[in-house]
This record gives sequence, structure tokens and C-alpha cells, in this order.
Amino acid sequence: MNRRTFVYNAALGTLHVGLLGTQLRAFQNTPSAPTLQIDIQAPDLPLSKLAMPGLFPGRVVQASHAGSLLNGRVQQAPVGQMLDQGMRALTGESTSKEAWAKFIEPSDIVALKVNPSGTPTTTTSIPLMREVIRALNAVGVPNRNIIVFDRNSNQMEVLGYHNLLPVGVRVVGLDGDWAIGGRTRPGYDPNVFAEMNCFGERETRSYMGSVVSEASKIINLPCLKEHNASGVTGCLKNLAYGCFNNVARTHRFPKTYTDPAIAVLCTAPPLRAKAVLHIMDGIRAVYHGGPFAWNPDFVWEAKTLLIGTDPVAVDRIELEMVEQKRRDVGAPSLWDRNPQNLGSAADMDRSAQKNRFYREPGHIKTASELGLGRWELEQIELRKLQIS
Amino acid sequence: MGAHTMEPASSSWVTLLGDSDRRGGTTAARNTAPKELLWKVTLGDSIRSSPVLAAGVVLVTCRDGHLYAFDARTGRERWSYATPASVHSTPSLSGDLVLFGCDDGAVYAVDRTSGGLRWKAQSEGAIWTSPSVHRGTAYFGTHGGVFNAVDILSGRTQWSRRFDGRIHSSAYATDDRVYFGCSDGCVYALASSTGADAWRYQTGEGVTASPAVKDGLVLVGSEDHVFYALDAGSGAVRWRFQTGLGLASSPAVTAGKVFFGGKDGHVYALAVADGREIWKSPSIRQITAAPLAGASLVCVQGFFGTTQAYDLNTGDTLWTASLGGSLGSTPVITDDTVYLATYPGVIYALR
Repeated sequence: MNRRTFVYNAALGTLHVGLLGTQLRAFQNTPSAPTLQIDIQAPDLPLSKLAMPGLFPGRVVQASHAGSLLNGRVQQAPVGQMLDQGMRALTGESTSKEAWAKFIEPSDIVALKVNPSGTPTTTTSIPLMREVIRALNAVGVPNRNIIVFDRNSNQMEVLGYHNLLPVGVRVVGLDGDWAIGGRTRPGYDPNVFAEMNCFGERETRSYMGSVVSEASKIINLPCLKEHNASGVTGCLKNLAYGCFNNVARTHRFPKTYTDPAIAVLCTAPPLRAKAVLHIMDGIRAVYHGGPFAWNPDFVWEAKTLLIGTDPVAVDRIELEMVEQKRRDVGAPSLWDRNPQNLGSAADMDRSAQKNRFYREPGHIKTASELGLGRWELEQIELRKLQIS
Repeated sequence: MGAHTMEPASSSWVTLLGDSDRRGGTTAARNTAPKELLWKVTLGDSIRSSPVLAAGVVLVTCRDGHLYAFDARTGRERWSYATPASVHSTPSLSGDLVLFGCDDGAVYAVDRTSGGLRWKAQSEGAIWTSPSVHRGTAYFGTHGGVFNAVDILSGRTQWSRRFDGRIHSSAYATDDRVYFGCSDGCVYALASSTGADAWRYQTGEGVTASPAVKDGLVLVGSEDHVFYALDAGSGAVRWRFQTGLGLASSPAVTAGKVFFGGKDGHVYALAVADGREIWKSPSIRQITAAPLAGASLVCVQGFFGTTQAYDLNTGDTLWTASLGGSLGSTPVITDDTVYLATYPGVIYALR
């Protein structure tokens, strides 16, 4: 196990990194300039060329299909076309199988990190999951070596992952024990954790899900959604806050430490090494009130997927899309700092002008500074596919 | 099903929705909210199934791997039976046996009085369905896609069949047919004695709810947002009703009406004869649990912490209890007590 320390100064907006025991620069700690220290203890895995930002830094494919959502139902066949053509556009390969084979080997244990919060509509959709599983089968991964997981089994059950996915695929909620290879594993790994004290909370550790330890590859399947604390909940947040527990403590009205916590948690070597592909479900998208989006007025039918190996680049494109949508409807920017626009959760659910926190979408840029991908738009290659 | 016929109907719930007819049912007319806590018990993990009640004993399974038997008056634990894996299956009573499925792929038959194991029938894949007993045979499907018919006395498999999808739908058995849904999108009717195909009907998405059969109709919702009434003999569509989102809630049938919840958060009341909407409740965000339907009320547990009771005929809200919601648990209501199992693992007995 290795232990790494990150110190973030909110006033200066700077993040310093060092191994435990290294003397870090001391910051003045005042109420207006809080300092957050995050220690990560995790195995120090080697980072292959597949590790974030992966094989195609800065490349994002946006695959859209007008028929992917009809009469409120996500349509299987168009989603399959979007994924197939999107993967070929990402990799330059001529077949879907060859595209997937750049990331996945038949012997892999593949964990699919879904986003089931926001059930039942603004979640990683079942048709997309089926197409990903079909693609994995095509490169030789049997269903028994595919694990669909998230922190919350209840949200997964309501959506139907346990009931609707192909026979043999394991569906694991990290809030309970699970079995692999004849062994029973607790949901979270007691030896892999992040230690941070955001607001003087009693429990200062966040443990990493044991599925991450057991898998050889992770495919990240977030949703295209605004988030009331982090600005957007995309690739980075789906990994960090979906694989570590006890993370809601990073927000306390109106402040959130999602920047830098999301970025820092994504540098944990098991996550960075194994998350080789990111497929964002934007068939339904959320521009306000996320992640749950109780008010359907804030959901729009974007009918698109964003695909890449670089989570920073994908999240940056997502951020631009949500910002554009908010501009279109006259809602404040995700970077808004006007205290008049703060309100309760009920206010937020009623009006796109109100929010519970000062959002911190800067976690995406912070992740870039930590080497996880490309933030600058001029360094991002966006390939748009309009399939139908 | 001999045991429950000895007791008043309102205090005997031998399986999901009261009895194997899914009448949903209680004869109790409870139009006021419960006001007094008789007892509560907190278990070691979440409860994902419905309690059943017979002979003064509440039986409930828990994700901690146990089947528990509690005295219905005091909440005192009479016995428990431990399995090696989580349990999500609603228990089903038949004679002196309690049957339930387990995530280890087996159905367990436990003595109703002592809690001792009588037999275990091993299959493939987790079993979240409630075994359905008819004329000496227990029918159940698995997440491994296997549907089984097992002798109730010995646990010996009479026949089994493999399907191309998960079976999360508890079966409805009659003398000659057994009906269930599958994640492959089909509603199946098989010959009860052999498992041979009688008919199948393909819906637009997986069928995870449990069907009810009434007046020659197989009544069940699909994740394709549609509630179907299929001819029990041929599988032909007799009527269909469009809802706003997927349907995972099993229907309850009484007084010529069929009641079910939707992921759109509404409880629907439709006429069994023609599918006409009689009423539709305001949304409580999402419902996957089955409602119960009694002499005067319909009651359902929502995902977000409320138990709602509606007037059976009008849909007007009668009472609400906020005790912690449920994904898939149906309350038991007798003349004097409401028994609720909640997602956080608490069982309440309320007067």
C-alpha cells in the first residue's frame, strides 16, 4: 500500500501533492481560505497506456440518433448503432469488435460503473447496458466475468439492473457483501481509502469499493447531468463518488469540496489504471436539479452518447453542453457565485434560477492538472456523428 | 394451502398479496391511519420482500440471509433460519411448510413451527421470486433463467426449463397452466404438469412483475410502460393500458378492479373487464412494490419513505405513514393491525 497526500488551498485555488512524510508547503488557514488535506491509501499499481487519460487523450466522440428515444422509451437498436459507430470513430477501427479489443481482453474481469441515481429516467439506461455487454461478449468476455456495480443497490433494483440484464451478469451494490470466485467480499475494501476532514465530520474516511480491486478493467458509464454541488456529474464524479463511500460529506451549504475531492479520488491507482473507457449516456440529459432531477422540466432529450478514454475531455464537452442548455433557457451559469441565487432543495427543484450550493465544476480542470486528461477546448478533438 | 383456511381471511396471508390468487387481499376495512406502535424489530440488514402472516406468526426474510418468525402480538422472535446468502424472496406458506428462495440458487422449505429445514431444492441463479404452490407443486423462476416445478413434500424437481432471460416474476399457477414473466419481454403460459409451452406473448421490454389471473385474463405490467390483459387460454391481447413509465409492481385484483403502481409514481385502478381507468393517484415519484387491495382501501409502499392508503373506489387518500419506504414490500393489514417491512430493515406492527 502506498499513501499520498494532497493539500488544497481554496483561496489560492492550488493543489499540492506529496508522498506521506514529505514536508508540504504550509498555507494560512482562515475561514475564508480553508485548506483541505486528502490522504489516499491504495496499492500502487503500474499505469499502462490504457490508464486515464488512456489511448486517445483529448478525443471525444459524440454519437447522436434522433430515434434513440421514442415515446419516453430508450430504443435498443438505435442505441446499438450509436455505440457501434461511436466506438469505431473513437478508435479508427473498421469493426466494433476490433474497436473494443483495443481495451478489453477475453480474460478480463470487467466492471461496469453505472449511474443509477436519478431513477427512473435520468440513469444509465438498460438498453445501453445491454449493448455494452453484447460488445464485451463479442470480444470473448463471458457474462460471468462482467460485474455491474454502484454504491446503492436499492437504486439499481428500482431501475431494474438486477432483473433486466442478461443472465449471468453480476449486479453488485457496494452496500452489501458479494461473492466472486467462491469468496465473499465486503462491499468496500478496508485497506483502500481516502482520509479527509471537510467540515469537522465524525467519520473522515471514505473507503473504495472492492469491485474496483477485483476487476481488471472498468468501463465507466456516467450520465450527462448537471449536479447541484459539482456542476456536472460526469465521468470523473461517477468514478470518484460512485466508487468511494461517505462522500456526500464534502458539501455543506453553501460550500462544496467536490473540487478537488473528485479529481483527487480519481488518481487512486486502482481507478486510474483500470478505468479504460468512458461512455456517457446523454439520451436523456439534465441541465438543472441534478443528479436526481425530480422536476422533469429540467430534463431534455439530448439523444446522444459521449465516448472517450479521456474523462477530463469528455466531462469538459459535457460541461459545455449543459452550459449551453442553461443559456438557452435563461438559467445562471454553473460558475455562478451570486448569493441571491442560493436556495433550499425545494427552491432548486422549482426554479432553474436557484441552487443549494456554489457549484464547483473546477474539479474537471483540477483533474487535468493531476494528469488525468485535457481541459482546454483547443486541445480537445470532438468528433460528431449524426447517425439518423 | 390448508392451514390458512382455518383462520379469518383478514389475518391469514400465506404468500405475496395475501394468497395465491393475488386477490391482494384483506377483508379488513381500515380507513384511518394507524396511531399506535405495537412493536417494532430492527433486523441486521435491509428487507426487500413482503411479510406474510398466519396463525399469529409474522414471517419475513431479510438480506442478512435469514427467515424470521415473530409473534404477531408481541414481536418476540420465535425462531429464525439462516441461509448462506442474502434473501430477497417473499416467503410462501403451504401446510406446515414455509418456502422461500435464496441468492444461493436454492428454495428452502422450513418447518413452520420449529424453523427446522425440511428440504432444499437447488437451481441456478439467485431466486428473488416467491414460490407459488398449487396442488402439491411449488413453481419458481430464477435469475439464472431457469423455471422449476418442485414436489412440495420431497423437494424433488418434477420438471425445469431454461429461458433466455432472468425470471423475477413470481408465478401464478392454476390446475393446467402456470403463468410468469421474463426479462426477455415475454409472458409465458406453460402446462403445469410438464412445462410444455401453451403460449407466449412478446411485450416491448422485460416483464418483471408477477401476473394475476382473473376472469380468464392474465393481468400484468411490462417495463415497456404498458399494462396488459391477455386471454388466459390463448395469450391474445384483450386490452392494454398505456402508463408513463416502466411497470415492475405486481397487480392486486379485487371487486372487479386491478390495482398496480408505476415507476411514474402513480397507483392505477383499472376495470378488469375492459381496462378502463377508474382512478389514478397523484405521483409519489416511483413505485415498484405491489399494492394491497382490500374491502375498502388500496395501500402501497413507495420508494421514498411513505406508505399511502387510498379509497378503493375513488382513489382519495385515506392516510399516509412515513416510516421508511420500500422497493418491493407489500404491507399486511388485518382488522386491527398493520404490519410493514421497510427497506432499512425495520418491521413495524401498528394499531
